[in-house]
Amino acid sequence: MTDTAPDLDRLRGGTPPRNHDARTIAALTSNPGCARRGVMDAAGVDKDSVARHLGFASPFGQSQFAITRGNVFEAQVKAEGCAELITLLRDRLGLAVPEVAYDDLEVVAGNEGRELRHARTRRLIARALESGEGTLFDHPLLRLDIAGQAAYLEPDVIAFQFEGRFHIIEIKSFAVIDGQAEPEQVAAAARQSAVYVLALRRLMGELGHDPGRVSHEVFLVCPENFSNRPTATPLDVRPQLAVLERQLARLTRIDTILDALPDDLSFEPGEDLAEAVRAVDARYAPDCMASCEMAFYCRDEARACGATGALGRSVRDDLGGVDSVGTALALADGSLDPSADLAETAAQLRTAARLRSEALDGAA
Amino acid sequence: MSTAPDVLEARITELRAAVRRAVSGGDRRAARELRAELRQAESDWDDAVLGEGAGGLSGADALEAGPEEAVHVRDTGSSGLGRGEAARPSGAGSAELSVVGDTRASGSSRRGMLPVREQVHQALTLLGAPAAPKLIGSVYSAFFPGEVAGTRLTSLRRDEERSFRTAPYARPYYLCAALTADLLAPARGMLTVSTWPLEQRIAGPLSPRTDFLTAAIRVAEHAGRGGARPAASVQRLLWRFASNIPGAATGTVGTVDPADLMEAARAELDVHREADARQRARAAERARAQLDDAERLFGSRLRAMRRAAGDGRAGGPGPAPGGPTASVRSATHGEDER
Repeated sequence: MTDTAPDLDRLRGGTPPRNHDARTIAALTSNPGCARRGVMDAAGVDKDSVARHLGFASPFGQSQFAITRGNVFEAQVKAEGCAELITLLRDRLGLAVPEVAYDDLEVVAGNEGRELRHARTRRLIARALESGEGTLFDHPLLRLDIAGQAAYLEPDVIAFQFEGRFHIIEIKSFAVIDGQAEPEQVAAAARQSAVYVLALRRLMGELGHDPGRVSHEVFLVCPENFSNRPTATPLDVRPQLAVLERQLARLTRIDTILDALPDDLSFEPGEDLAEAVRAVDARYAPDCMASCEMAFYCRDEARACGATGALGRSVRDDLGGVDSVGTALALADGSLDPSADLAETAAQLRTAARLRSEALDGAA
Repeated sequence: MSTAPDVLEARITELRAAVRRAVSGGDRRAARELRAELRQAESDWDDAVLGEGAGGLSGADALEAGPEEAVHVRDTGSSGLGRGEAARPSGAGSAELSVVGDTRASGSSRRGMLPVREQVHQALTLLGAPAAPKLIGSVYSAFFPGEVAGTRLTSLRRDEERSFRTAPYARPYYLCAALTADLLAPARGMLTVSTWPLEQRIAGPLSPRTDFLTAAIRVAEHAGRGGARPAASVQRLLWRFASNIPGAATGTVGTVDPADLMEAARAELDVHREADARQRARAAERARAQLDDAERLFGSRLRAMRRAAGDGRAGGPGPAPGGPTASVRSATHGEDER
């Protein structure tokens, strides 16, 4: 795991590594098959600047309004020693009245250094594990080893100790209306929380305690209905955890991908950058747009070579084995004879083509 | 006292114009005399409108003043802007005058007559516990005339610290930081008053809650005084407390009986009080032993802990110049004692 580090440093080409955050780690799990993203993330390459250099700067980012809204809601929930949050937890979980301790780990004595914050997080959590002291830990700074590189997770969560078990509380500003929230948002929150759960479990392990003391159930605190009142929803993140663990295990085997790459490959900005990026296979899907800085470049590439993935993940899965749109069309109109393993797909494509022409004839 | 406020107001306006003329004309002596007259007129106005002893403007006075007077206060507040301006053009011409203009201007924004630090002091005195600027703002606007300018609050603590370090104990009170119980560092975003006992200014793990409950009791006490039904803004404030204290919200949603709130808050406070007091006392003891005067008020930061006081401590939080290892070591001091 550590012997890939020099290779990864070379890939990055002299620039300091970019740290992962829960967002990037969560994004990794949404497209595990993408070698390009895997390699670049493992090396801590600044994908944004690479994409910009290639002429595919991503024009978006998170909306400033969304960020402000999120911060305001979080501040409201956490005001006066998390008064609203404590009320919620008492209501929903029967948190005992004496359990109100609140430790702010965001700043250590006016200092925001990461090592310092992490050291303090460790100390307080170790103490909580041993003596049960402490209830709410705001902004713990956690660490996760990713491809041999320690990534600090800038967390926007509260670790919450309840009857000897730790839970992650994630405060999000999208509304839960009549018990329902936007599934995409919830899924994204679950993926992010899973990263924190995993990092907290690793920390427990390092401290010599049972990682199982971190619950797989996280609490999502969101505004209720159309009001600003917070509500808490338990969220089971076991599936996300499983994906994440698998993906992280896969990430540490990044050396196998590296072995297949030329020895002098580097993503340093320069004339050879495009060449270097093309040398690593990507697996573009439209969902990449939401999470990956390289998405515009990969989309362009996928469209140029007519990859079926550009039409969406389900299309690619339906056309299993047929890589390009051109091949699919040729199979459909019978101009290309399918090999044995594609016979079934080809038959379905022909049926689809026949149905389509019939429908169009009927309309005419 | 006998003069009607309207007459006084006209006179104040007149005098202000005269001061400005004198200053721009370079006649400093006349300006000084006129200003003295102006101050007298303003204080007469205070007496006429707000009653005796309005300079202190205690909470009860302000409450009795009621909404009508509150409007008046805002009115003169807005013309008070002129007061600040009057002093400003003087620039270097009259250093003395510009100093007055400076201190006055802080309070003479539209939001009320008092300087921000006094507004904050009043709100904090009412609350009796360390509080975040947001709570201070809502308490002030609920019980006192005018509003606290939120933007001025951000630099307040730093200004106070600077003032204390240049001339220690020159002011009767300072608005200072709450100290975290473990590291005796300034707690984020909490304001306190320097005249409070050190224990009251310590923020341990339980303190946010006990402070919240203490504040609830004090606010309810204050609101319940007089027996009349509290104003809408006070009700909103009470509800904010009551909705987060078990057993406090007895009536319909949004209305709170101050007596019920007080009782519920006291009941919960009894649960936490002892443990919290213990932590506070221990931390306060350490603070007395380890910190110098300024640090006791404004907290010790990890960076530059043993360095010269002059190296811009007031510059706000920033990365420690001493490496992380040094900081980690000093971060552990006192941690075990918690």
